[in-house]
Amino acid sequence: MAPILEVVGVVKRFGGVTAVNNVTLSLDAGRIYGLIGPNGSGKTTLFNCITGVDRADEGQIRFKGQRIEGLKPHQIFHRGIGRTFQVIRVFPELTALENLLVVTTNDYPAALARAKELLAFVKLEGLAGEFAGNLSYGQQKLVEFVRVLMTDPELILLDESAAGVNRTLLNELLDAVRVLRDRGKTVLLVEHDMKVVMGLCETVFVLDHGEKLAEGPPGVIQTDERVIEAYFGR
Amino acid sequence: MKRLFLAGFTVLLVVLAFYPMGGTGYGVRTMLQLFMWIALAQSWNLISGLTGYVSFGHVAFFGMGAYTTAILVTKLGWPWLAACLAGGVTAMALALVIGWPCLRLKGPYFAIAMLGLNEVLRVIVSYYEGLTGGGSGLSMPTLHASVPIYYAMGLVALLVTALAYVIVTSRFGLRLMTIREDEVAAESMGIDTFRYKLYAFLLSAVAPGIVGGLAARDQGYIEPMSVFPLITTITMIVMVLFGGKGTIWGPVLGAVLLFTFQEIVWARFIYLHQLIFGGIIIAVVLLMPRGILGVLQQKYNLPRTI
Repeated sequence: MAPILEVVGVVKRFGGVTAVNNVTLSLDAGRIYGLIGPNGSGKTTLFNCITGVDRADEGQIRFKGQRIEGLKPHQIFHRGIGRTFQVIRVFPELTALENLLVVTTNDYPAALARAKELLAFVKLEGLAGEFAGNLSYGQQKLVEFVRVLMTDPELILLDESAAGVNRTLLNELLDAVRVLRDRGKTVLLVEHDMKVVMGLCETVFVLDHGEKLAEGPPGVIQTDERVIEAYFGR
Repeated sequence: MKRLFLAGFTVLLVVLAFYPMGGTGYGVRTMLQLFMWIALAQSWNLISGLTGYVSFGHVAFFGMGAYTTAILVTKLGWPWLAACLAGGVTAMALALVIGWPCLRLKGPYFAIAMLGLNEVLRVIVSYYEGLTGGGSGLSMPTLHASVPIYYAMGLVALLVTALAYVIVTSRFGLRLMTIREDEVAAESMGIDTFRYKLYAFLLSAVAPGIVGGLAARDQGYIEPMSVFPLITTITMIVMVLFGGKGTIWGPVLGAVLLFTFQEIVWARFIYLHQLIFGGIIIAVVLLMPRGILGVLQQKYNLPRTI
C-alpha cells in the first residue's frame, strides 16, 4: 500500500538557521508514529511545514499521493490532516463547545451532536458552556485534542498533547489515540515523555539539529547510541 | 426576561416610529444622528469587534457614500434614496478593492492601511474638481426631507443591528471571532480566514456608505474635510469599546450613551467637551477594556445574544 504521507528532502531555513535539513520520512496508514528529538531539533517546524503554517524551502510533501506543499493551512486541513499545537491554541473567548463547532461546515445539528459526543469523550461535557480560556491547562489540551477530531481527519499530528495532562486523563487520551489507529487513522506525535512514546508508537523518528538521526521501532531507537548521545551528550 | 426585553424593544420601536409626528425639527434631526451613530458603530463592530482587525479608516466608506450620493444627485439628478443606496454599493466596492490586498496582511498593518486609505480618498476628492467640486465641495438642491431621512437612518440602524444578531449567533460569527482569538489556529482548523475577513469587511462597509449618503443629503452640502474626518472613525471605535466590542447590543448602548453625553456636554461646555471625551477614552481603555456589556457578559456568564 502506498504511504499516506511522504516527506521528501524537506528543508526549512529561518535566516541563517536551518531548522529542518533534508528530512525524509514516510508514514503508512493506520499506524502510530513518534517524532522525538531534543529541544530545537526541528520537530514543530516539520509539523508546520506539513500543515502549511510554514512553507518548506526545498523538498516535497505528498499526502495520499498528492503534493500539498504550497497549499494554505485551511486547504491542507480539509484534505484530511489535523493538528494540535505545542503551545495551547484554543480560542479563549469562545466556549469549549464553540471551539469545536467552528471547525466543521457540516449542518448544525450534526456538528452539535458530534461536538457534544467529543466533549463527553474527554469528560468535559459539564464545562461545554465555559469559556475555553477559563479551563485548566490540561482541560484546554483536551479541548484542542478533540477539536481536531471534529472532521475525522485521516492523519493527526499531535504536538505534545500529553504534556501537562494528569495520569488518568493521559491514559484515556492514549487509549483514544489507539482507538483512532484501530479505525485506520494515522497518528504522528511529538512527545518528550519516553514512556508514552515507547508504549504507543510503532515507529519512531529521531530529529537532531534539523536532521533525521534515526528511524525504527522504539526498542531499537532506545538503545541507539547516536540517539542517546543527542539526548544526553557524549 | 427575553419576553420583557422583546416587549420593551417593540414599544421603543413604535414610539420611535411615531416620534416625528410629535417631535420638534431639532428633535428629529438629533434622533436621526443617533441612528447614524448606531449604524456606524455597529458596522465597525462587524469587522473590528469580531475579527479584531481594527479599521482606523472606516469613515472612508461614509465619505464614499456621501460623495456618491452628492454626485448622483447633482450631476445625474437621481432621487436621493436611490443615490444613497448606490452609496452603499460603491462603499462595498471600495471595501473589496482595499480589502483584497490589505486583509492578507496580518496584525497592525491593516489598521495603518485603512488610515492611509482615508487620507488618500480625501486628497483624490479634493483633486478631481470637475466631478467633486474639489475643496469647495458640492451643494445639493434644498430638500426638506428630515422625516423620511429619519426613517431611512432608523431602518439602516435596525437592519445593521439585526445583521449583527444573525452573525454573532451563527457559526459564521464564531469563525470571525476565531480570527480575533488566534488566527494561526483558525487557519489550521480549516477556516479560510482571508475569505471570512473579506466577507465581514464587505458587510461592514455597506451601512456606512448608505448613512454617509443620507447624512450628505440631510445636510445638503459636503466638502472633503466634512465627510472624511478622522474623529468620526475614532468616535465609532470609542462607542463600540465603551458598549462592548464583539457583542450585539454593545455598539448600540455605546452609541446611545456617548451621543447623549456629547449632546448634553456640547451644549453646556463647548471647549471642555473634547477634553471630557478624551477622558472617557482613557477611562474605558484602562478600567474596562471589554466595555459595559463585555464586563457584564464575563461576570454573569451571559449568552452571546446580549
